[in-house]
Amino acid sequence: MSRRVRRNLAAYLMLLPTLVLLGVFTIYPIVNSFIISFYDWDMMSPVKRFVGLQNYQHILADPLFRRAFGNTLLYVVCFVPSVLLLGLLAAVLLNAKIRFRAAFRTTLFLPYITSLAATGIVWSWIFNGQYGLLNYVLSWVGIHGVDWLNNARYTMFNLVLFGVWQNVGYVAVIFLAGLQNISREYYESASVDGASAWRKFRHITWPLLSPTSYFLLLLTTIEAFKVFLQVYVLYGESPGPNDSGLTLLYYMFNEGFSDFKMGYACAAAYVLFLIIFIFTLLQMSLSRRVNYSA
Amino acid sequence: MRKVGIYLCLVVLVLFVIGPFIWMLSSSVKPEGEVLTKVPHLLPSHFEFRNYLDAWKSAPFGRYFLNSFLVSAIETGFDLTLGAMAAYVFARMDFVGKRVIFLILLATMMVPGEVLLIPNYITLTRLNWINTYQGLIVPWIVSVFTIFLMRQFFMSLPQEIFDAADLDGSGPMRTLFGMVMPLSKPVWITAAVIKFVGSWNAFLWVLIVANSPSYYTLPVGLVNFSSNVGTVYNQLMAAATFSVIPLVVVFLIGQRYFIEGVARAGIK
Repeated sequence: MSRRVRRNLAAYLMLLPTLVLLGVFTIYPIVNSFIISFYDWDMMSPVKRFVGLQNYQHILADPLFRRAFGNTLLYVVCFVPSVLLLGLLAAVLLNAKIRFRAAFRTTLFLPYITSLAATGIVWSWIFNGQYGLLNYVLSWVGIHGVDWLNNARYTMFNLVLFGVWQNVGYVAVIFLAGLQNISREYYESASVDGASAWRKFRHITWPLLSPTSYFLLLLTTIEAFKVFLQVYVLYGESPGPNDSGLTLLYYMFNEGFSDFKMGYACAAAYVLFLIIFIFTLLQMSLSRRVNYSA
Repeated sequence: MRKVGIYLCLVVLVLFVIGPFIWMLSSSVKPEGEVLTKVPHLLPSHFEFRNYLDAWKSAPFGRYFLNSFLVSAIETGFDLTLGAMAAYVFARMDFVGKRVIFLILLATMMVPGEVLLIPNYITLTRLNWINTYQGLIVPWIVSVFTIFLMRQFFMSLPQEIFDAADLDGSGPMRTLFGMVMPLSKPVWITAAVIKFVGSWNAFLWVLIVANSPSYYTLPVGLVNFSSNVGTVYNQLMAAATFSVIPLVVVFLIGQRYFIEGVARAGIK
């Protein structure tokens, strides 16, 4: 064997396990899911009936799907700006010359690594109308509490608060990395010119941070569209009172694993993918305004 | 004066973030009668450590722990080994089709994992892997993210060390595990912590694959326990506490790598 052939062989041998596993559990399912989405199939029966685009048509016509889409969109619209703003604030604070920065950073990051299953149990108690911590804290400022979990009006508030709590540290850490990449010199020359803190933020920090903000905007939006677990752990096995917490992924999960409509669920997964994809494209059209010069 | 403002804001933020943890901890040692009160007290009249024992005994938590540990450790071990091999190949070896294969792998990162859920469930059913450890583990033992992370690092290593290894007649596997990996400690620790935390917390997949408590991992076991005991909050909080502690310990040990690894991903 020539040296070249041997090299190629060695490379492929080392790649083999990875390629086999990714092929079977990632690439094949991506294709297979798309194919199944054109069939009516309950997984048990040996016959798959080809129905063309019918699954997709039914999904788009299903009032429950519209409900799920509306709820998910509302979650995205409330969650993304809240977590980005609070995360940015935390990062700016952490970037000041302070003691215990590492300890603050680690603490803020803690919810991001603990499982939603455990923290969800704590939060469902926090939202308890009679004995919950939230109502107790509100009573300090004279607000009379409500039964947060059993009223459809507050479902989105609960989900967003829980979501922000979990993710704020992650956003802050990435913003902080972005902030620390900005050269001190800009601020020094601005100080010489007598610029205020706000003007420094507006004219130096904000534009130079835009690649980071843009990355986080894309990422948090994509993640927010896939909200599921928060609903599942806060509300048990129902998507909130009056389906007020029914999200796109919850919808897909129900169709697939409660009703075993596999074709339908695969179609729902692809609709979710398509929605995320469209929003990503929309946000990418923003990228012209991102400043990559720094 | 400005400093005081900054600390004040940070303390408020930190309280918001660790408040729920503090409450979890304090409730986990409260006697039954002091749990559901309109005015919560931070400290119980006496510490009721029995809650931990009672919670531990009311569900097979030992089994859940073992499952979580097995699943996370095996997944992490394979992910690092296979990921390092793939990363080395992409970073340091030449072969036919390299660019195309790498691009295909990167493209799979764009597809949300949820799309894979149903076809993978079907595959597992065909393999008879529902309610098995291999069903829980095998689909997740390689991740493109790990490959990508390590490849970036391997590419930045100086060519000289690879030339020296070549001169010694060291094959790619020996070069990788004998020389490159020891040099790449920060990057594989990052990958390991991210993978371990991810598999420890995995929920949806376990929910689907495990239909019997024997194969539950901690998060699924915990949610199941919670719907069984309802509002016995002191035991619930005790269970929640002991289920997050191993992870918090792993995180605190590896946090420097973990947080910096996550931060690096954000500015790449």
